[in-house]
Amino acid sequence: MSERKKVLIVDDDPDFVEGIKAILDTEYETEVAYNPKDGWEALKRGGHDLLCLDIMMGRGAEGVMIARKIRKDPVLREMPVLIITSLREQIAFLFPGQAVHPGFVPVDELVEKPVDPDLLLQKAAAMIAAAEARRAAK
Amino acid sequence: MSVPGRILLIDDEEVVLDSCRAILEGTEYVVAAVGSGAEGLEQARSGQPDLVFVDLKMPGMSGMEVLEALRELDPTIICVVFTGFATIAAAVEAMQRGARDFLAKPFTPDEFRAMVRRGLEWRRLEVEAAALRREREALRENFAAIVSHELRSPLGAIQQNLFVLRKELAEVVTEDQLHRLERMSIRLGDLLALVNRWLRGFSVDFVGLKESFRAVAIAVPVATAVESVQPEAVRKDVTVEAEADPEAVVLGDEGTLTEAFLNVIGNAVKYSREGGKVHVSAVRRDEKVVVSVTDTGVGIPEADLSRLFDAFYRGQAAESSVGGAGIGLAVTRRIVESHGGTITATSDPGRGSTFVIALPALGTPAAGSDGSPADQASKGEAG
Repeated sequence: MSERKKVLIVDDDPDFVEGIKAILDTEYETEVAYNPKDGWEALKRGGHDLLCLDIMMGRGAEGVMIARKIRKDPVLREMPVLIITSLREQIAFLFPGQAVHPGFVPVDELVEKPVDPDLLLQKAAAMIAAAEARRAAK
Repeated sequence: MSVPGRILLIDDEEVVLDSCRAILEGTEYVVAAVGSGAEGLEQARSGQPDLVFVDLKMPGMSGMEVLEALRELDPTIICVVFTGFATIAAAVEAMQRGARDFLAKPFTPDEFRAMVRRGLEWRRLEVEAAALRREREALRENFAAIVSHELRSPLGAIQQNLFVLRKELAEVVTEDQLHRLERMSIRLGDLLALVNRWLRGFSVDFVGLKESFRAVAIAVPVATAVESVQPEAVRKDVTVEAEADPEAVVLGDEGTLTEAFLNVIGNAVKYSREGGKVHVSAVRRDEKVVVSVTDTGVGIPEADLSRLFDAFYRGQAAESSVGGAGIGLAVTRRIVESHGGTITATSDPGRGSTFVIALPALGTPAAGSDGSPADQASKGEAG
């Protein structure tokens, strides 16, 4: 392993952020944005290997806004996104008729809040590794 | 409101229309007057009146017909009928058909003005009541989102930090302290699961579900559900055996069907004694696919059977204190019914219960039924 990978967390609940940041800190360099606007600005600055994104922020599904922008961005759309949501049903509620895993961005997976520490680390590592493999294959 | 009131007058007698208009002259009301029921309806559709005065005796479309059509158009429009003394009985009938009041001809200007004021006040109340009803509906629909945000978020944040603390402190704290941290986490997990189950009961759009219906081999959701209960079954030393006809196909939503079976099979395991047996079978029987779940558990007292599928109802759970929100079977019933199926339960207290879910089968084998599967799915036959 050369350098520590960088994970960006975008979530508006500071307490929850503390809870996953502490887990990710053991393996990664972390950066936090507490609202979609700051999150997007951080993403534009670049350098992240994984985004942990909360969908339900602010007055609704403001996390989706970020997902939409990522989808349109030629560089960011390559980045893996781990969607951390408080309830899978909410996703089904917001996007009726779609699978529970809606595929907001080209590369994403979904875990429910609260997330088991080992599962979080495992997902993060797998997604980052898969993204690297994709880059290497190009 | 910008306009103090839109009033529509429908009467074939020109003199009545003229005098009413004259009475209201100089007021801020917007008044329209027409000479027949048909014109009146047309005007009502385009002009959105608050208050309609309609004569009962008119050539062509009668006042009664106008009343019914108006009620269909917008039940919050206030209708008052004009009537001669001879037709008081008819006025009563009109009120039964939706008219709010009647004004006997001939009436004085004051009587008419008073009726206009009263009518518009009724209308205001009607509109207000309708808005409140809508608000209540919206609140109910958004309940899931509200509860989710207010209750789940803080609980989730606490749980997340407990997870981390348990990991971080594992080396530092005593075994007893670690045990207490674990207990906190478990209790919190139960609470979160409870909130989730409540949310589920409120938030699933069982009507919209139909749009995602497609052919589902019943063996698939049955197998998934059985697989999901295995860890719990193994822990309790309960054997779950399942057999499913690979040819049995229904029109439905695989995810919610899995959930329905999971609820029933999960209950069977939950109410089984150690070493018990749960048998799941899914077979094609005539035009139905029948899934039955039989356990050798504690059974259900006769008195509980009829209320089993009501939301928040929990049986006496005779032998053990088994946890639960009392919503699983209610959700199951809604899922099954949205698939046009039925769910029934029979029980022999102390010896076990059988739950039977019957769903309309896809692909009718025998002649004699030409109902398409989609038709059958929407009928929701009982029994």
